Amino acid sequence: MEFGPIFRSLLRSRARVILIVAEVALTLAIVANCLSLILDTRAQLARPSGFDDEHLIAIQTNPFDDRLRDQKVLDRLVDQDRRTLATVAGVRAVSHTGLRPWERSGNITAVRVPGTHGEPARTQSAEADPGLFDTLGIPIVQGRGFTEAEYDHGADAPLSEVQPVVVSRALADALYPNGGALGKPVADAEETQRFTIVGIVDRFYNPFGNTSEKVMFQPARSVGFDFGSRYLVRTQGNPAPLMPQLEKALLGVEKGRFVQLRTLVDSRDEFHGRDRLLVASLNAVMALLVLVTALGIVGLTSFSVAERQRQIGTRRALGADRLAIVRHFLLENWMVTSFGVVLGVLLAYGLNFGIVTWVAGAKLSLATVAAGALALWTIGLGAALGPALRGARVPPAIATRNV
Amino acid sequence: MLLYNLRLAWKSVRRYPVLSALILLGIALGVGVSTTFITAYHVLARDPVPGKSGSLHYVRMNSWGVADDPFRQTPPPLITWRDAQELLKSRVPARSTATFASRGTVFPPDGTRPSRQSLRLVTADFFPMFDVPFRYGGPWSREADARPETVAVISSALNDRLFGGANSVGRTIRIEKTELKIVGVLAPWRPRVRAYALVSDPLGAPEPVFLPLALTGPMELRPAEFQMSWRTPAPGEEKLPYASRLLVNEVLFVGFWAELPNPESVRAYRSFVDAYVTEQKKHGRFPHPLNNRVTSVLDLMAELKVVPPQTKALAVISLLFLVVAALNLIGLFLGTVLARASTVGVRRALGASRWTIFVQHLVECELMGLAGGILGVLLSLAGLAVLNRVYGDGPKGVAFFQLDVPMVLAAVVLSLLAGAIAGLYPAWRICAIPPARHLKSQ
Amino acid sequence: MPMLKMDNVSKIYRTGLVETRALRDFSLTVDEGEFVTITGPSGSGKTTFLNVSGLLDAFEQGTYWLDGMDVSRLSDREMSRVRNEKIGFIFQGFNLLPDLDVFDNVDVPLRYRRLPAKERKARIEKAVAMVGLSSRLRHLPSQLSGGQQQRVAIARVLAGDPKLILADEPTGNLDSAMAREIMEILEQVNEAGTTIIMVTHNPEHAARAHRQLHIADGRLVDFERITPFPLNRVERTESSRQVAG
Repeated sequence: MEFGPIFRSLLRSRARVILIVAEVALTLAIVANCLSLILDTRAQLARPSGFDDEHLIAIQTNPFDDRLRDQKVLDRLVDQDRRTLATVAGVRAVSHTGLRPWERSGNITAVRVPGTHGEPARTQSAEADPGLFDTLGIPIVQGRGFTEAEYDHGADAPLSEVQPVVVSRALADALYPNGGALGKPVADAEETQRFTIVGIVDRFYNPFGNTSEKVMFQPARSVGFDFGSRYLVRTQGNPAPLMPQLEKALLGVEKGRFVQLRTLVDSRDEFHGRDRLLVASLNAVMALLVLVTALGIVGLTSFSVAERQRQIGTRRALGADRLAIVRHFLLENWMVTSFGVVLGVLLAYGLNFGIVTWVAGAKLSLATVAAGALALWTIGLGAALGPALRGARVPPAIATRNV
Repeated sequence: MLLYNLRLAWKSVRRYPVLSALILLGIALGVGVSTTFITAYHVLARDPVPGKSGSLHYVRMNSWGVADDPFRQTPPPLITWRDAQELLKSRVPARSTATFASRGTVFPPDGTRPSRQSLRLVTADFFPMFDVPFRYGGPWSREADARPETVAVISSALNDRLFGGANSVGRTIRIEKTELKIVGVLAPWRPRVRAYALVSDPLGAPEPVFLPLALTGPMELRPAEFQMSWRTPAPGEEKLPYASRLLVNEVLFVGFWAELPNPESVRAYRSFVDAYVTEQKKHGRFPHPLNNRVTSVLDLMAELKVVPPQTKALAVISLLFLVVAALNLIGLFLGTVLARASTVGVRRALGASRWTIFVQHLVECELMGLAGGILGVLLSLAGLAVLNRVYGDGPKGVAFFQLDVPMVLAAVVLSLLAGAIAGLYPAWRICAIPPARHLKSQ
Repeated sequence: MPMLKMDNVSKIYRTGLVETRALRDFSLTVDEGEFVTITGPSGSGKTTFLNVSGLLDAFEQGTYWLDGMDVSRLSDREMSRVRNEKIGFIFQGFNLLPDLDVFDNVDVPLRYRRLPAKERKARIEKAVAMVGLSSRLRHLPSQLSGGQQQRVAIARVLAGDPKLILADEPTGNLDSAMAREIMEILEQVNEAGTTIIMVTHNPEHAARAHRQLHIADGRLVDFERITPFPLNRVERTESSRQVAG
């Protein structure tokens, strides 16, 4: 191969080389950082909740009729609602719970092992009825769920009474790192209230605050005139068509209230909306950038081919076959791209350093940079191929054409 | 001469249509992408209360009660009801307001089915502090806060729905069990960043109903957005009436803003807050060391990362995109210009000065830059439309990201700049070559 | 054995509707070791003849043997190889690659022949020494005079050690002193045994060849005319006459 002469001749056509090198380097820096941001975000997007999201509907009810200001009426209403929802055809399970999956909302509580000091563990907490685990589709892997009696009693239980709770594996491990959390006590941070872990669930993930995997469920019928009550309904098939029926059923029980229904998939999509948009934006920026850069390389290589018709003819006359001409231009281009890639790797780390320091984001991984570099090499060669083939079609007789 | 140069530029565009299209596309993409993402950044990052952000200050006090939890060494983002009441009494700030969001059932005057609406509880000062625009009527008075009077300010959208858009000042609406007299109707108002709700939901839409903060107790309005508490209610506390409970519990749900027009007043206010907390310590509250914050709007926005870091990163990346597009242009221009070297030689031989040739080529680049810029602005409208599908307030709602005049001007300047950057070097190259060489080589 | 033998070669150029017959039933034999000059007016077909004989251009009819090999219908690749190994070109415009220095320019055909680096270096240095430019190995063409550039082009040919040199007005762009210099080098090369076919406008240079051909309108005219030779060329002349006759 003709590295030496091509390299030496490149050093002499500075403007073109500098342009392509700069373009390739900047493109690589941008592409690598976009890729890094995309991978970073996609990892979060891909994380499943562990719930049967595709078959779940969340229902929020808020009473407005003054008759419903009576707590006893509301309590009875919840039981009626639960029974009614369960009878709708196509419903697999129903739960009355304070948990709000994929809504960036809920309660966060600080808990600790009684008698310990220091920073308590922060966890999501939610009221739940016995049906919750079946409804979410997260089985109790250790211990047991709640009984109807516990649920019935929960809201009225005095503070002094030890309440049963079901916790996620992550919370159990945070409280009792050596295992054996089942049956062990938990208390709120101030130890005014105590709990016993009666069950543990795996696969809990509901991004909210900094406590995505930790949860503590308490059995209680949570309903009030000002905050209403919430239900989760797990369906056998596609949940969306069932929503009008469910709404009608609830209003049939009591129409002095608002009923809002939403599939969990909708909530999840909204939750991910901005991240998806980010990924889409980054993808678009990358694609357009690569397009612009490729066009640039095509343009510059075309000019360099057009400008060097006579040289190509001369080379042909001196014995270069078409392949040699293609190879020459590809090699030349590859070398320029390579300068760009080398510079681009440095720039990519520089840009990443800037972004991580001044903005936010993850550090660039070697694999990402390597992928970007490989992509640019390919694009560089691809973009040069057309002009190079055109160069190979330059007839050798051009060499004897006189000025 | 400019006209002549423009005509020459047009001729060369016609002569190299594909290349010109590529050049145009290059600039348009560069300007389009950067305008889109810089607009997204600009909409979120710009001063949410123009001219006021320097003087509006958010107040935080460390009222956490548990001393041994490291998490609780930074002050919480909200304050308690009772502290808010005390701060409101201070006359150090020109104006001050305490605010939180609630929800309630709004009963239309015609007796049709009620609707559940977000409510914002504020004091009279809120409206001038945050430059809230009115269509009919105006804010209630400070006296209405003190009494309190059962008055309300409603949004133009709610006014349209309940009163068909008529001037409803003086009419009444029922919220929960209370009849309220409408004193003001807002003009359509959609700040992209709600300065007054920075800690809870800065990008949300303003609430349709504004009520005097003092109605919280009588109307038993609960905070709907965000509340925190470090203390489990003492036995018997739950039995107290809501208004009294507010004065003893330690629930954090109120945001507090003070208008402090100059550094002296900020200093004075800081000492006032510190003095208040020191006084409270005597009553066994505020066990942590003094750690109060009085923060301006823009500082708070930065602290809370109201502009998502990814949006910032995208803005930076899209500017670099523009640089790549400009580099690309230099290359393409260089190619076309040098390909025309011989005609330039003829022009030079016919008496065109170096400067004339330089200007001729620069004009051509600028023309392409401008055309590409205009196309780019159109592209960015499409880009923003895509962004708005996620950020906008529903299908018929307000477009969240909109190009404003400064952004369009910036886009045009950017494209002219790109044209100039891209054109300078090729124009210089072509006019620097001696004319004889072009003539000979053809 | 003839170095070059063309039988009824025709070459037609088509541009749109116009068809130009640049070579018409062209026949010529050139012996190994001959120095032949070709003259003719502009557009007579001189360059076409050079292109065809140098395998730079394909032709429609006829047969062409080069160094005993039928090269009438070769693939691009085979033609390139023949050009590289058997033919050396010298152009009026020198056709040095402007981005390459003297060494790299001379190196070009050797690269295409895939010779090992050591041998290339030896050949380059020897060829450049032969044209007296050893001190300019790392100079760019733009740093050399016209005569020097043409000497580099000749070195490029010599390094490849071709059997046939095709020279297209090699002195056309040079002043007379430089032109003479170039002619002397070419004559030395010819003396060493390389066949040379040279197109020229200069009657004085044309007259220095063993044989002078004239092309007009795509045909060879005045084929028989033999010019006076310098004394030292007599033996060769005899042999070429025999063949020609």
